[in-house]
Amino acid sequence: MMHVRQELPGLDRIRDRFIEMLADRQTMIAHHALLAWEGETVEAVNENLYAAQCVLHQIGGTAGSLGFDVLGKDARTCEMEIIAHLEGPDADLAICPGDLIYHVDNFVGSCRALLDLKG
Amino acid sequence: METICRINLHFLLNCPKLAIFPGMIVFNLSELLRLMRGVQTELETGKMKILAVDDDPIIVELLTQFVGAIGDHELCTAYSGQDALRVLEENGADTFDCFMLDIQMPGMDGIELTRKIRSMSRYLDTPVLMLTAMSEKRYIDAAFSAGATDYVTKPFEVSELKARIGLVEGLVKARQTRTKKIFAAKALGEIPASPNTAIELHAPLSIYDVDHVIDYLAMENYVAQLSRNALFGSSTFAFTVRQIEDLHESTSPFEFYSMISDVAEIISDTLAGKQFLMSYAGSGTFVCVTESGWRPDPVQLMDSVNLSLAQTELYDNQGRRLQPRVSTGDVIRMIWKTGNSVMEALASAHASAEQASHHFEKSQNDFWYMGQTA
Repeated sequence: MMHVRQELPGLDRIRDRFIEMLADRQTMIAHHALLAWEGETVEAVNENLYAAQCVLHQIGGTAGSLGFDVLGKDARTCEMEIIAHLEGPDADLAICPGDLIYHVDNFVGSCRALLDLKG
Repeated sequence: METICRINLHFLLNCPKLAIFPGMIVFNLSELLRLMRGVQTELETGKMKILAVDDDPIIVELLTQFVGAIGDHELCTAYSGQDALRVLEENGADTFDCFMLDIQMPGMDGIELTRKIRSMSRYLDTPVLMLTAMSEKRYIDAAFSAGATDYVTKPFEVSELKARIGLVEGLVKARQTRTKKIFAAKALGEIPASPNTAIELHAPLSIYDVDHVIDYLAMENYVAQLSRNALFGSSTFAFTVRQIEDLHESTSPFEFYSMISDVAEIISDTLAGKQFLMSYAGSGTFVCVTESGWRPDPVQLMDSVNLSLAQTELYDNQGRRLQPRVSTGDVIRMIWKTGNSVMEALASAHASAEQASHHFEKSQNDFWYMGQTA
């Protein structure tokens, strides 16, 4: 990632924008994860997990390029975990795995820690 | 270093000043790097009009900064597949030279967008770079099958993206050569009679509208991407059209191109139902990469393709019947291969099929020779 930091002009501005958006994004992830956890139908669980996955996907796609490597990898890990559940044998059940929510919660915690650091 | 080496080979293969052919392996990396820098410098003078499509505003901003930093290119952006199609319509005849597409987008995804772009005659061979966080094999397969030229996984590094864009610049220049004239005429249903549109026997050709057939450069990028992601368990093998020199000599460029397209279609139909991608690598040879789990029987495939070819009536413009037949070479497992050895596997498959074709021709000659001396 050093190449990005060294070569690309205007990166500080983009990084600030990323942090700004991260505040909203981590709230969205937490919101959808909670709805999935409390969901009583397959649709409610899966649709909210998918919504959380899309936001994680965006964070995972850019964080590394902006120097937030660990955050990017964590986002990708959570995303893969959701994909594995949505394509796995329990996808047709109204079940939201506790482990998955635990990991998403940890990720949201990491986002908040970064926001506190930058805020 | 692995990536740089592969890209160098692409540059060299696409550089008309350097006579290096697919399958030829260059060992001196420092020399290769020196050559690449020279070629890049030459290409950097070109200006491209690029359309980047991504639903993430951060990526769009990164690409805007990136494109501004690497040269005097014009960048247009869109935030969805539908938005991109609208931009394409608005630009009309003022075409784009390159596309950079995300895969996962709400509504129309990048793979569907690639298909739609490829269905437009003016974008048949325009380079399409997939910029995506999706590194799973099914997405890679789907992207290349839809017509992607290259695949860069996010988060991307500027140095890597810069090298890929350099490759695209070479392709954009190559599009202005003879093959474009042939394809344009083909799209209009015309027959180019001009000898100026000559096709070199050894040159790869882009074949359109045949399922699972992709550009040779895209094929190289595809296998490199697979090896990079350690998702490798596939096999490669090739078909070579026998007596291709004679067929090339006796037909016009358009007839030759049409024959190659027809053979591609027959091979593709024969392999229907299997998961594979194939490409015309030049010299009458089609290189195929198959999904892991299927071990092709080359002799059986050769017989099936030749039976279909025998049942298909192909004629040149003078009404003479063309009767192409193919030979197949060894099936080479690509499992555990990485970097250059992946490219070597493709080259070995290519060489093996050509050798099989020569052996067949030789055995035909030997048959008559033996008959005379017996």
